[in-house]
Amino acid sequence: MAAVTTGNGAPREEEGSGGESAAPQPQAPPNASGTRLSRLPLARVKALVKADPDVTLAGQEAIFILARAAELFVETIAKDAYCCAQQGKRKTLQRRDLDNAIEAVDEFAFLEGTLD
Amino acid sequence: MAERPEDLNLPNAVITRIIKEALPDGVNISKEARSAISRAASVFVLYATSCANNFAMKGKRKTLNASDVLSAMEEMEFQRFITPLKEALEAYRREQKGKKEASEQKKKDKDRKTDSEEQDKSRDEDNDEDEERLEEEEQNEEEEVDN
Repeated sequence: MAAVTTGNGAPREEEGSGGESAAPQPQAPPNASGTRLSRLPLARVKALVKADPDVTLAGQEAIFILARAAELFVETIAKDAYCCAQQGKRKTLQRRDLDNAIEAVDEFAFLEGTLD
Repeated sequence: MAERPEDLNLPNAVITRIIKEALPDGVNISKEARSAISRAASVFVLYATSCANNFAMKGKRKTLNASDVLSAMEEMEFQRFITPLKEALEAYRREQKGKKEASEQKKKDKDRKTDSEEQDKSRDEDNDEDEERLEEEEQNEEEEVDN
């Protein structure tokens, strides 16, 4: 279903709001070719983009790439944070692992002071 | 309602799924860590948007485009994202093209359909008009009787 991958507003957002509890939602049906283009709902990403007062308009492709970049970012920061947890021989990622990763990795410097 | 842009969070379920797939099996994530990552993702989008917007403004454009975002990634020192993002963009463009062609085809079919439907409709409308006239005449008669 094309609507799933492009993050068509309504169905995606319903899934998200229903999934506030810890139980993970059942995985959305995969794209026909097997490659998922984007999991994050484009409507939410667009809302973030529009929150910037300097932004006039954003093309659909730009929104899509931002969504995909955000996904990559989540994967990256999760993996980096996990390295710290692994050193502590823990199997659960904690908030402090994230803080350590932010401090250790230069690219995450922009996050300093924003998560509190 | 969101008070600050950072409060526009991305869906928790999706964030959790992405994290779990990035990590080895059996690894868990605390609620605090997950919500912090979710906020970080929102901040990331805001920061990337701002960077991309600078490139758009430099190019005297009012609309952010894909290359603005890619330039922003480089500026933010996330070069490692650029190749996978370019690939994703290619795939997205292919899909959009496919969808556009499919909807154009649908539209053509629909136009053909409505043409034949309109011919049937005009015949029906003539019948309806006759019925309405009949009803009006009946009402007029009733009014006269009341008077």
